[in-house]
Formats: sequence, C-alpha cells, structure tokens
Amino acid sequence: MKVAVIDYGMGNLHSVLKSIQAVNETGADIFLSRDPEAIVKADKVVFPGQGAMPDCMRELNSYGLAEAVRETTQTKPFFGICVGAQLLFQHSEEGDTPGLGLFPGNVLRFSANLTDAAGERLKVPHMGWNRVYQTVSHPLFAGIEDGERFYFVHSYHFAPADAALTLAESEYPDRFSCIVGRGNIFATQFHTEKSHRAGLQMMKNFLAWDGSV
Amino acid sequence: MLLIPAIDLKDGQCVRLKQGVMDDATVFSDDPVKVATHWRDQGARRLHLVDLNGAFAGKPKNLNIIRSILQEVGDDMPVQLGGGIRDLDTIEKYLDMGLSYVIIGTAAVKTPGFLHDACDAFPGQVIVGLDAKDGMVAIDGWAKITNHNVIDLAKRFEDYGVNSVIYTDIGRDGMMNGVNIEATVKLAQALTIPVIASGGLTNLDDVRNLCAVEDEGIEGAITGRAIYEGSIDFAAAQTLADELSEA
Repeated sequence: MKVAVIDYGMGNLHSVLKSIQAVNETGADIFLSRDPEAIVKADKVVFPGQGAMPDCMRELNSYGLAEAVRETTQTKPFFGICVGAQLLFQHSEEGDTPGLGLFPGNVLRFSANLTDAAGERLKVPHMGWNRVYQTVSHPLFAGIEDGERFYFVHSYHFAPADAALTLAESEYPDRFSCIVGRGNIFATQFHTEKSHRAGLQMMKNFLAWDGSV
Repeated sequence: MLLIPAIDLKDGQCVRLKQGVMDDATVFSDDPVKVATHWRDQGARRLHLVDLNGAFAGKPKNLNIIRSILQEVGDDMPVQLGGGIRDLDTIEKYLDMGLSYVIIGTAAVKTPGFLHDACDAFPGQVIVGLDAKDGMVAIDGWAKITNHNVIDLAKRFEDYGVNSVIYTDIGRDGMMNGVNIEATVKLAQALTIPVIASGGLTNLDDVRNLCAVEDEGIEGAITGRAIYEGSIDFAAAQTLADELSEA
C-alpha cells in the first residue's frame, strides 16, 4: 500500500510523516511527495497544512497540485490536517482566499471577543489540548473515547454549510466543527501528529480504513 | 507560538540565574506579583514560575507569593510552576490554589514512578521539564549530567501521558546567545506531544527562527533574561509570533 503525504512546501512535514510511520504495522510505503502523478497513483493521501491559508493555496497552485488533490478526494481514503482541512472549503476569511471548494462552507476567524462561562477572555489563536466530541460514529474513531483530548493551534475554523459534514466538535467557548468528512474524506482541525495516543490511534485507523463509512 | 514569561522566585524576589547557579542571581524585582500582572498586561497568555528555593529544598518554599500570584493572574492565563514538586500532595495543593500545570523535572528522572503516578492522578496537568547538555539529561539544578539520552527519556515520559515537555538547553540558558533550535526541533520531531523551548531566547530573530519550526510541535518558548533586560519587547514579540503562526 502506498500512502502519499502531500508536500507543497508549507512547513516541515517530518512530524506528520513520522507519526504515520509510527503506526505503520503493515509495511505500507509512506512517502512525502509533490509529484501530482505519484500522488494520484497512491492508495491513500494525507494532506497536511501549516501557516496562512493564502500562502498554502498559492504554493499548492504553484506546484500544480490543486487538481491532484481534487482527484484523490474523489475515491481514495483522504486525511486532511489543519490548513489541509480548511483548504477543502469554498472560502477562507484569512486573506479572503478561495479554497478548493470540495465542501460547502467557509473558514472563519474566531471572534476577537470570546469569553468563557466564567466571563474570562479567551485568546486567539486557540492553542493547546482540547476535548473532541464525536457527533457521529465513524471507523476512524475506533478505540478513541468520545471527549478525548487533541492538540490544536489555529485562529481560523471551518463552518460547514452542510451540517452532515461535521463528524466531531470542540468548544471554544461555543461548539465548532473540528472534524469534517464525507465518504472517503476525513479532515481534522487539530494536529493528529501532536496528539499522542489519540492522534496516533486515529492515524492507525486511517491506515486500516478502506474509505467506506 | 506562545511566548511564556518566566518568574524565578528566590527568597520572595524575582531573580534570574546564569547557568543555573544559585549564587549568581540577578534580582529583577522584589514584587513578583507586580511582575506577573505586568506580563499579563503585556499580553502574555501563559506564565512560567520557578520556585528556586523549593527546587533546592525539595519542597515548596515560596507558597505565599505563589498563592498571591495565582489569585492575581490565575484567572487571566494558565500558570505553570516547577521547583520542589516531589509528591502528589504538593501537586494537589498547587492545583487547588489555581495552578494550571505542575512541572516535574529532576524528580521525574530520579523517580519515574512518581511522574507516572502524577500523570494518572492529574491527567493533562503534568508537564515534564528536561534539561540537557549535548543531548544528555542534567539533574539537580544542572549540577549533574546523567547518562540518559534526552530523546529516549522524553519518549518514555510521553507514554506516561505528560501534557508537554519543556526542553532547556543548559548550554544556553541565561547566556543570551540564541536558542538551540536544532536540538529543540530534534526532540519535537521525535515526540507526539508539544515541546516548549527554554533557554537562550535573545532577540526577535530567535522568535522568528522558532516560529519557522513551530509546526514540528513547538508550542511555546519560555523567556526570562531577555524580557527583563529589554533585548526583547515582550508584547511586540508575542504579536510577531501570532502573525507568523496563523492557520
């Protein structure tokens, strides 16, 4: 089995690659690639993303990878992480950037005046470990408790126009969608590669997943 | 990336040590509560406290000051504290006072079972602090270099369920000669939990360089001498870090 981790020059992907290799129990060939041909030939695709969405979109286009990403989302088990999840939507407020438009909805900035239940000011970016509440059952949740903690770093979050896309939510302080998916596509706002056991379990589930729900 | 101001407490005062030497302390303020509120007002989103006397005594030695700091800023930002935390009762006492995270350093290396118990009893609230020189873990206020490889030990501790690892390169701390980015990134890459860099942060270039590797899992950087001596303007540095880490 070939698993391509899409490398479009946005940040160091070592952590992502390593976390997938750590749970590779079946001898899958897991590799970084920015070659559209190699990516569409892979059996599974991981689409990470770090930094600002306008930069990510620009780099994705400059490597001619947007089409390859679209194509792989049609059939292959596909795992988006952070900006790699945000890019699936139609538009982001960050730099007024159009996304790939695979999912209806926009990527919005957290409001500047968030407060928690006690009236304390919440800061943006939302940073650190936070609980993830599963809203549906999904093969990638196998062995992961509802309400498990995952590691977040983000100022923008996706707001799916179709509620059925949301697979899990987190709170900051309001509930927001933090995992979206449809069919063979699964994408998280948090960083699985920095979420230790739960993140590794999710990636392990992905390696075992055939893309059906 | 979070910039985390450090307040090192010695005899009720806010000090900075050079290279961990207790007798080489510079006093920056005799009012640590005022220092804490200052960093809050400058936009800090986390505070790092060290009970230096506690670290040497093996038990809390600045409880009253720490309580006052937590009362003043504990609701505004998470506060983490290390120094003299050697048993579960002490952890419970601190968390009850409003502390968000305890940092276990030397005790974790000497008695890993204690760290494991602490992680089980207080999930999500235990940070491990590892000091290292040339990749080997140092303990007892840097007096002793062990034969533990820092990456191997950190990996073992992450399996206990620690929240994150504070990595201090002891060749750099308080020396104002730059962060050991290479060693910090190497550790972050080997782990699946966040790393907080500590030691050597000197200027905005260090902030930029750390932000460039933030996605390897660098959650923050502790800063001490630089913000007290003024080589870094804290508010400007945090603003810069936020600009560089949008997503």
